[in-house]
Amino acid sequence: MNLVNYWREFFLKNGTAVALFMIIAVGMWLFMMIILPQLFMLDFSIRANVPPPKFGTEEHYYTLEHYKYMVFGSALATDTFNVIDLSVFFRTIGAAIFVTLIDLAICYPIAYYLAQVATGGWSRLMVLSLIVPFWINEILRAFAFKIIFGSTGVINNFLIASGLLDQPYDFIRNDIALWAGLSYAFILLMIFPIYNAIESLDKNQIEAARDLGSPWWRIHWRIVVPHAKPGISSGCTMVFMLTAGALAAPQILGGPSSLWFTQIIYQGFNQAGNWARGSAYAIILLVSCIVFVLVMMKIFKVRFGEMMK
Amino acid sequence: MIPDRVQKLLIIGFVALFFVYLFGPLLVMGLSAFNTSNFPRMSPWDCFTVEWFDVLMNDARLITGVRNSVIIGLGVVVLAVPIGLAGALMLMQVGPRVRPWYYTITIAPILVPGVVLGISTLLFWDRIGLMLGATEDSIFYDGMFLTIIGQATFISAYAMLIFIARLQRFDVALEEAALDLGATHVQAFRKILLPYLRPAIGSAAVLAFLASFENYNTTIFTIISSSTLTTVLASKVRYGIDPSISALAVSIVFLTLVGAVIYEIVKRREARKVKAQMAVARGEATETRKQRSFFSEPAFIMFVLIVIAGMGTIYFAGTIGVEECKTVVKAERQAEIQKRIAERQQQQASERAVDVQSDPPKDEDQTDRADKVTAKGTEGYQGVFAPANLQGDSESEPDEPAVGTEGYQNVFAPANLTGDATENSAADEPAIGTEGYQNVFSPENLTEQVQPDASGN
Amino acid sequence: MSADVRLETVWIRFGDFVAARDVSLHIQDGEFFTILGPSGCGKTTLLRAVSGFLTPSEGRVLIGGEDMAGIGPNRRPTALIFQNLALFPLMTIWENITFSLEVKGVGIKERRKRAAELLELIALKGHGDKMVSELSGGQKQRVAIARALCAQPQVLLLDEPLSALDLKLRQHMRTELRAIQQQVGITFIYITHDQGEALTMSDNVAVMREGIVEQVSDGTTIYDEPDTSFVASFVGENNRFVGKVARISAGIAEVNTEDGVLRARCSTNPQSAVSKGDDVFVFVRPESVRFLDGAPTDNQFKAKVYHEEFEGNLWQVFLDLASSQKRVKMSYVNDGSITPHSADTEVAIGFSERAAIALPRGPLAAE
Repeated sequence: MNLVNYWREFFLKNGTAVALFMIIAVGMWLFMMIILPQLFMLDFSIRANVPPPKFGTEEHYYTLEHYKYMVFGSALATDTFNVIDLSVFFRTIGAAIFVTLIDLAICYPIAYYLAQVATGGWSRLMVLSLIVPFWINEILRAFAFKIIFGSTGVINNFLIASGLLDQPYDFIRNDIALWAGLSYAFILLMIFPIYNAIESLDKNQIEAARDLGSPWWRIHWRIVVPHAKPGISSGCTMVFMLTAGALAAPQILGGPSSLWFTQIIYQGFNQAGNWARGSAYAIILLVSCIVFVLVMMKIFKVRFGEMMK
Repeated sequence: MIPDRVQKLLIIGFVALFFVYLFGPLLVMGLSAFNTSNFPRMSPWDCFTVEWFDVLMNDARLITGVRNSVIIGLGVVVLAVPIGLAGALMLMQVGPRVRPWYYTITIAPILVPGVVLGISTLLFWDRIGLMLGATEDSIFYDGMFLTIIGQATFISAYAMLIFIARLQRFDVALEEAALDLGATHVQAFRKILLPYLRPAIGSAAVLAFLASFENYNTTIFTIISSSTLTTVLASKVRYGIDPSISALAVSIVFLTLVGAVIYEIVKRREARKVKAQMAVARGEATETRKQRSFFSEPAFIMFVLIVIAGMGTIYFAGTIGVEECKTVVKAERQAEIQKRIAERQQQQASERAVDVQSDPPKDEDQTDRADKVTAKGTEGYQGVFAPANLQGDSESEPDEPAVGTEGYQNVFAPANLTGDATENSAADEPAIGTEGYQNVFSPENLTEQVQPDASGN
Repeated sequence: MSADVRLETVWIRFGDFVAARDVSLHIQDGEFFTILGPSGCGKTTLLRAVSGFLTPSEGRVLIGGEDMAGIGPNRRPTALIFQNLALFPLMTIWENITFSLEVKGVGIKERRKRAAELLELIALKGHGDKMVSELSGGQKQRVAIARALCAQPQVLLLDEPLSALDLKLRQHMRTELRAIQQQVGITFIYITHDQGEALTMSDNVAVMREGIVEQVSDGTTIYDEPDTSFVASFVGENNRFVGKVARISAGIAEVNTEDGVLRARCSTNPQSAVSKGDDVFVFVRPESVRFLDGAPTDNQFKAKVYHEEFEGNLWQVFLDLASSQKRVKMSYVNDGSITPHSADTEVAIGFSERAAIALPRGPLAAE
């Protein structure tokens, strides 16, 4: 009854045409694009892997075999655990954390500098110029890093010419190119939330703290960082999620021995043709990213609402 | 305590380093587009050229990819902007209890990994198609359609955020005033809310298009058998790189710059218009209306002139004397290389036996391919010393032991020399060469871009 | 064309919150009617129910005798002037004014003509092509009025339209609004928390508190004959004494207070009648309190001057009563004959029984 009233009010308030537009557009988005596809993927991941004509038949039974496979590997394997996939998974998460920390370390000082130290047109110009590299797509950015870090790239040429190395260093094999490229790829998403947060901090607070004799690190620790916490956490969340879910940069910059978890998913789909297992792995990636972020938010006492401003 | 001046220098140094990190890679990539070297690099510098732009323009696969990307981008704009608008309007009206849930669900697609969105979209429509008994060539299996849907899932959320930001500053009383004055709901929406949201619609459309244009993670799953700019690029970059990709990046940066300048001019014009309105005491609308046409803006004309002059210079510098320069460079290199080959050959012969057994396969971007390469040679550059190569080419510099990482090894494989490596083989036949240069030597290139004498000894 | 507005037992609820509680009002055709009350009393809610932006939970709204249930704001013969005016920022002045014609599909020629007429009425001739942002506060105010009048409403609703203006302009606009109302002759329903506005402009005033209409009357009655303790404390200033009725005779109540027995008249409204033993407030206006220069009056006190404030035309005197240390305020006209008192001067003050009123104890306005 209440609901009926609510909708009647809704239609009255917006007019039939606008109300219908809103309901259809939002309904399509929520159900046909967000919720149902995810549920279908979930359903897919807990069923046996059979070709499409057998969908819905008895052979398409419910099973957790794909999740089990992720942990224990195939029944025929000699190892107790699925060492390959598990190690790729944890390495991906670990590397994503690492990249997030690098970005934080790079971006916090820069964001602070842009928001509080730099002044006027100069600061505006720098903020604008931050955006330029991000008009270029992810693949080209990774490509640029491949050029630089290649064995005949600028860096190796420079290191050899200056006598620091006599053999080219293999940056790609050692994942340095990958880390540099991934850090680069999402730098903007770290800088802007922190920049926005720090910019809203009243300069007087910093001056007051300095006036009271606080050393610079304490000013940051006690005043700037607490104020910028929502920005820092939203930046870290985005960088972490996007890094863990990155595909292009690992494909282009990844060394031979370091697969990214998304690449395993991709292979599952495109090469192995095992959609069910691919779905299960995708769900694992999604859930573990969300859980990780939620745990971090709990630890650092950040609420979702203030983070998403 | 660090002295103030040192501290300041440290800070400036850090900021400078940061901007080097930010622009350095792009600069290197940009310059490599003008280097004659077949491998994209800035150093050593061979000769200045614009030939890679020609290669780019003649790359049919890339052109198709760009065309598809544009179509998909427009499709996403058409879908995501209205959805984002409706989503934002809805957010303003849902009750306080539903609101956080609604917000979380609609914003989630931004944070959900792109591959997950791609997979779920693909699976969902596949199932729907199956339930409806659709055929393989129906819309449910159409890569373009699926990609538009998949991308719009999260791009709508971007658009929604833009609309929310603007709507939060919207005075609801304006809409009520319109209703009160007798407007229907549709009229109030069209005459009051939409004009107010127009700047946001513009931003959302541009953002949606750009986000779609550069999306890869979702697209790679939903595109199926079609291709977009990003998927073509990705396969190119993964399986072999040449400076025409740099040329593409330069073109994109250039277009961005043009866009930014035009945007800036438009913005200034608007600011000027508002100022003029404020200044003119009595409302002579005619005064502000007779503004110069956009194309006669001095700033625009200046910009066009500079662009034309710059491009002209680059074109002439890049086409005149390139061949002479190349010949000179080749000659220099050859002399050096001959010397080194002799040295290396001796060395290599003694090390070879050990290498084959002990060295693990190196420098493949996919482990599953590494074994295929192992069969040919453990170190990428070994192929250089295969008989075919010895009569070969100055480009394969043996003084760079890890050449293999960039995939020179198969350039001189028989298949490539006969020129049957088509564009597609790069992606489909990894056995030929995972990162190969093979296409450079395909017949059309041999006769056109790369002079025969450039690849012959 | 003009119409009367009738609210019949209107209840408006938002969840558990009641914004209007059994409100019945009859606003006469062609009247300037003001709803006065502190912020949050539900007056704007009531106005929105009349204009059609919300539907009463119970009861009916009738305009010109017609039940408005199910009729949206765009089909009601009302026009609303918003608190912040809600002028359309992306339209010129003349487009703003004639918006109601535009949505009816009236041609541009006709609209420009009508705009010119209305601009003349509000003394903004020649400003039609300006943008809203180019006008001053008072000019915007007038544009909002013209825009509402252009829709030819039978009832004009005004939601604190003067609150954003500075004092001088506000006083000027009061006169102007009243003049416009008399000129166009339609019903005005005006909402305000400013009693000065209410008393100067209105034919009738309704005082509201927490969704309840406390009193409906003309301005002088509201001021002189408040029905409830809330009205007495909200409209104008009043000194207040707390006590219990000891005796009533001939419309005069004797009330026992801390300051002795006070004599005050009872309200003529039977609903506000008091009887023996009731807890009551006795209210007396500062201007009714006088210094006693020998002549006795009904209620007398000894007091000490706390301090005096000079306001040009008035002297405001604050005193502490000797009996209870209660602070009392009095004001008298500066006719040039009185010398100020220094602090702590002992004086005798008093007021007549007709100047004071005894009302049943009830809620008071916030200080």
